[in-house]
Amino acid sequence: MAHVELEGVTKFYDVQEKRMHALHEVSFGIDRGEFVCIVGPSGCGKSTLLKIMAGIDAPSSGEVRFEGGPVLGPHPRISMVFQAFGLFPWRTVLENVEYGLEMRKIPKKERRVVSREYVEMVGLAGYEQMYPKQLSGGMKQRVGIARALAVEPDVVLMDEAFSAIDEVTADILREEVADIHKETGKTFVLVTHNLFEAIELADKIVVLSSRPAKVKSIYPVKLERPRDRTHSTFIHMHKDILHLLKEELENTIVRHKLKGIRELHMLHDMEASPKSEALRRTVTVT
Amino acid sequence: MSIEKQRALALSLTSKVLPNDKLVSYLWVMPLVLGFGVWELVTRLNLIPRSNLPTFSGVLAVLFSSVQEQAFLLRIAHSFVNLTFGIVFAFSLALPMAFIAGSRNRFDSTVTPLIMLFGALPDLSFLPLLVLWFGPGNIAAITMASLAAFFPIYFTVREGTKNIPRELFDVTSIFKSDRLSTFTKMVLPAISPHMFSGLRLAYDFDWEIIIAIEIAARVAGIGSFIDSTVSAGSLETGFAAILAIAIVAVLVDRLFFGSLESWARKWA
Repeated sequence: MAHVELEGVTKFYDVQEKRMHALHEVSFGIDRGEFVCIVGPSGCGKSTLLKIMAGIDAPSSGEVRFEGGPVLGPHPRISMVFQAFGLFPWRTVLENVEYGLEMRKIPKKERRVVSREYVEMVGLAGYEQMYPKQLSGGMKQRVGIARALAVEPDVVLMDEAFSAIDEVTADILREEVADIHKETGKTFVLVTHNLFEAIELADKIVVLSSRPAKVKSIYPVKLERPRDRTHSTFIHMHKDILHLLKEELENTIVRHKLKGIRELHMLHDMEASPKSEALRRTVTVT
Repeated sequence: MSIEKQRALALSLTSKVLPNDKLVSYLWVMPLVLGFGVWELVTRLNLIPRSNLPTFSGVLAVLFSSVQEQAFLLRIAHSFVNLTFGIVFAFSLALPMAFIAGSRNRFDSTVTPLIMLFGALPDLSFLPLLVLWFGPGNIAAITMASLAAFFPIYFTVREGTKNIPRELFDVTSIFKSDRLSTFTKMVLPAISPHMFSGLRLAYDFDWEIIIAIEIAARVAGIGSFIDSTVSAGSLETGFAAILAIAIVAVLVDRLFFGSLESWARKWA
């Protein structure tokens, strides 16, 4: 039995009387301790899928199962890291990390001790009393990660967790997340539009199609860690998935001409110089 | 000249020209003292007749003796209590309404335009009606003060609520925050900077409203006191009362709202 299972997850939205089909029959399984990355064209519903897995959004049909039981709401052993960090600016680093424990009515003394541990784990010892506005983007996301881990979840969901951080910092943070994954053996699910990031971190990459998102393909990544972006297998895999996503974008273009063409141009630019530093930064398959 | 010498010279020059921060924050005292000095001078030199403007020193003397009179202090307290009640009522009505308006589009588009329409009317135009209904007493004053305080609180809190990032609601959901703690531990602190400026606006606004009501409808308080003393030709007492209001208004503003805002400034 997979640790987390999605079965026929379908989602409709009603936006101003118009029915939007966001997800269509999405099914795949995630093993315990696996690091899964979900990639797909922008706006395809990746984040919606993650929210459904988190139990903070409900599928229109289908279900998510965690350890065999259906996820019908936020689950105490499923935690989440947010794209814009989701920190409370009026709380210090330590107080932010404590938040999840506080909501679980853990006594103050105990949650202080636990949060300190996690603050240290993400390398923020000495910053406990700082407010988020005093921290850089990378440090803020460390707080976000510590808060997610402090409730000792089995599954950590990450929504574009590295995309609001400058690339050099993101690189370091990715390595640390990979270490945390290795050490803790927790299940990680990262939604991203950064293919390099996905190949670098994932045991398995789920490629979604454009809206309504279906599972287009699932790639196991068997490369040795730590992964080398210049390794030929890495480059090939990147090319393959990029090709898949491009196909998806071309499908989109038929539907939304201008917007899609602009995105396709971006994609071509990216392909033109695969080794440049700029590429690393913009390989966003938006 | 060596670089070190140049730097030392530059430093000594700037330190003479730029006073330290502590002093800068008290710079406002200078024009204030200057203003009072000019006031004293023009009245002493009879450039303005005493029947129009008493001397500053005379006003100060009356102020010092007035603040030792219980009746005088009670009048100020009376106005202040009416004002405070007005703000408290307005706040307890505006906060929930503004929060719902900020988070529920349907409610917002039904109610907010009406509130805007209502708010566009000059508040004091209701005064004769309020006096007709409730008589020229505290109820009319408090109702008027609530009415005037409602709008700044409503619009700032509504704006603050709309500005809460959606992600923060997801955070509260993920960690299974109940409704009450979502409100007290997330929404309230998140909107507090907006809320504080709304309250401060309401407070400043309400001083004007309260004094105006007291003068126009002869409601008891420091406003009607100013009116009657000035009409009776006792300008020094009138000015002393105005100074007293200024001192109370500024003190409360600095101590209460100042400390709220300095809390918000720490993190916002």
